[in-house]
Amino acid sequence: MKQNDKLFVRTENQTGKCIVYIGGELDLESAVQMRAVMSPLIELTDRELVLNLRELRYVDSTGIGILVSVLKARHAKEAPFSVEAVPPHIRKLFDMTGITPFLLKQA
Amino acid sequence: MMNLTEDVITLQVPASAEYIDLVRLTLYGLSVKMGFSYEEIEDMKVAVSEACNNAVLYAYGDLNAGEAAQAPTPPPRIEVRFVKRDDALSIVVKDDGRSFDAAVAARKAAPVNGKSIDELQAGGLGLYLMQALMDDVEVNSDMGTEVVLTKRLVKSGDM
Repeated sequence: MKQNDKLFVRTENQTGKCIVYIGGELDLESAVQMRAVMSPLIELTDRELVLNLRELRYVDSTGIGILVSVLKARHAKEAPFSVEAVPPHIRKLFDMTGITPFLLKQA
Repeated sequence: MMNLTEDVITLQVPASAEYIDLVRLTLYGLSVKMGFSYEEIEDMKVAVSEACNNAVLYAYGDLNAGEAAQAPTPPPRIEVRFVKRDDALSIVVKDDGRSFDAAVAARKAAPVNGKSIDELQAGGLGLYLMQALMDDVEVNSDMGTEVVLTKRLVKSGDM
């Protein structure tokens, strides 16, 4: 897969859980890469899918749209999906768009 | 006393996703210089990118984000005009492509509060975010689309 300098993705498989670490900028340009990464992972219904956003510096509605698509796809398959370690300025966008309760596990 | 100093910085880029980060970098440089806070700058970065995203997507017709496209000739461009005033920054994002229906977009511009997962939409959040993140948003669709995004500058000591 083409490795874009702008978006860094690392996948870590644990027992019953797949954690995807996403860093850099998730925008219109890197959306293609993000979709390509997520598309096979959505199918892994035997484990929990977690996106870790600790290193994510930028996201806009393009990235939020991808998260919503993943959320819907996982929901349709009755497979668990959540987002963790959301930086404050990105959390603000999630709150504004109203998707926070769907993405974050209740603490 | 009213000070009417106004500087304009213009940036013109191809209407392609790969140049939107360049617009963000320029915005960052200018807004730091003007004294905006980190949070305000982050807000503006997203809002300006949303306007550019729309310009890129609509300039090539009705594409899904990130979809490959054949560029029409001549290649469409986006003009970004930063209007720097003492008390505000306005960013004018103008494309020469097809106008998108601002009225339709504005009706669709809404957060997803209170909806179920099945009702969530993956698209249509761009204009909503622009409105939520900026102090003022104006959309003019005539020859192409022009979006004017304004953030007021509140300097410490003015409060």
